[in-house]
Amino acid sequence: MDETPYTQEQFASAKQEMDYLVAESLKGRKMPINAVFAKLSDVTKAIAGGAITWGRKSSLWPMQFGLACCAMELLDFGSARVDAERGGYLLFRGTPRQTDVMIVAGWVTKAMIPEVKRLYEQMAEPRYVIAYGECATCGGPWWESYNIIQGIDQVLPVDVYVAGCPPRPENLFGALMKLQEKIGGKIVEDKV
Amino acid sequence: MAETKINIGPVHPSTHGVLRLVVTLDGDTVKHVEPHIGFLHRGVEKLVETRMYMQSPSYMEKLDYVAPISYDEAFVATVEAALGIEVKERAQYIRVIQLELQRIASHLLWLGTAINDVGQLFSVFMWCFKDRDIILRLLEEATGGRMFYVNMRLGGLNRDLSPGFANHAYKVLDYLEHRIKEYGSYLESNPVFMERMKNIGVMSKAEAISMGVTGPTLRGSGIDFDIRANYPYYVYDKLRFRTQFENGGDCFARYKVRMDEMQESIRLVRECLHTIPEGDAIGMPIRLIGPQPKEKEVVVKRELPRGEVMMYMVAEGQRPYRFSIRAPSFINTSVLQHLPRGHRLQDLFPILASVDTVLADVDR
Repeated sequence: MDETPYTQEQFASAKQEMDYLVAESLKGRKMPINAVFAKLSDVTKAIAGGAITWGRKSSLWPMQFGLACCAMELLDFGSARVDAERGGYLLFRGTPRQTDVMIVAGWVTKAMIPEVKRLYEQMAEPRYVIAYGECATCGGPWWESYNIIQGIDQVLPVDVYVAGCPPRPENLFGALMKLQEKIGGKIVEDKV
Repeated sequence: MAETKINIGPVHPSTHGVLRLVVTLDGDTVKHVEPHIGFLHRGVEKLVETRMYMQSPSYMEKLDYVAPISYDEAFVATVEAALGIEVKERAQYIRVIQLELQRIASHLLWLGTAINDVGQLFSVFMWCFKDRDIILRLLEEATGGRMFYVNMRLGGLNRDLSPGFANHAYKVLDYLEHRIKEYGSYLESNPVFMERMKNIGVMSKAEAISMGVTGPTLRGSGIDFDIRANYPYYVYDKLRFRTQFENGGDCFARYKVRMDEMQESIRLVRECLHTIPEGDAIGMPIRLIGPQPKEKEVVVKRELPRGEVMMYMVAEGQRPYRFSIRAPSFINTSVLQHLPRGHRLQDLFPILASVDTVLADVDR
């Protein structure tokens, strides 16, 4: 019942397809209404995709997730001087379910790995990760320590890395702008 | 009523770091709190033992990232004691200036975040961070770093104060003195703030001594003890320094001590800037092979913004054989088991905030 009774190739444009579907759905309900809605949502996505991407990149909500020293600069980022809100990085939310971007600010110990993973999994997709500072990027000064992992990219996919110990809050602003470019499709990720 | 156990953290906006608390509740009343620590442990003491003396200050700064200069200075002082190096007089004054500026910055950060826990007074957070940033800019002018400075060298400093520093500092201090007074008057006339701070988390004198707390947490219980006054180092004995303490032992007393300490620090910096002698303040450059240690075993005590730090070092050749830290935050965190008992759950966070712990310092 779920298969569509036509091929996509017979239409020149999305609009034609939509007209056909609407006409078919009105004509004695030959085709299941679920399929109509599924197709309609595809068509809407094709038309509104640009708007969705714009919305996604213009209101990135970061998670309030401070691990160590870099969290101080994270607080500074949210406060008066740097004023994160003018870039669309609205509110630091306490719960991962309301957030889009996780800023890993600090070293990740072996005890913290399950917690960080869990937080990441609790975030709604699409979700992004920024490795902020040396420790989250590569282990930093604690490289040789027995209880530290050498970079958060060993457990999570990272979108943007920020260097510095700690990076200035302005660098985080730059990193979030890079992330916006990436969401907008301007930067194509290097596959290493 | 049946007992309920709830878990708070390790990632929670109000725990000021990765602290996990398991709270046993009877209805709304806290029966028992069990702090779980160790989420930031990275073995600093072991790392310091594998490095030469002057490679370690940058590790020390990351212990207490709210007041990095204080830890840096404490470590360099330990090495100086082990190697038998005297600090130049001008350098002593500059160190005191930087330590006290750092203390104001640290207490301002505390004020912003703690008040935010008390009742979402978010404006205070914004003000405090703006003012803290002004101090960080002043320290950046003096040392070259924004948050981590690594400015201490054996016997002195890496950089002397810049020529315009004193004028800039006087302006900043005047501004801060005015602002901190203003914050105090706003907060103390706010009924929500007073209701949630007064008679919450009361720690008696005897309790404070037996639990071994130090710093503003100790002085909030009415004990007149400060390493800067009782065991003075550098030029603290030449300055007119008065220990700030407050009777009461509740969250409000601890808040009041920190507010008074900020004013006292402003006075100290002003006095240092007035009386600072001319001369050389530059310390020894960092060399691959430094001087040999004269003392085998040293203990150095310092008053940090969070309490008393004690550093123990067994020096052997070019690197420490054993190094150990008595961290103020670690000892102060232990009171969380006792103070919230009998209070309601909502009072747990003001108590936690009033003790002022830095979790990187707790876990080391």
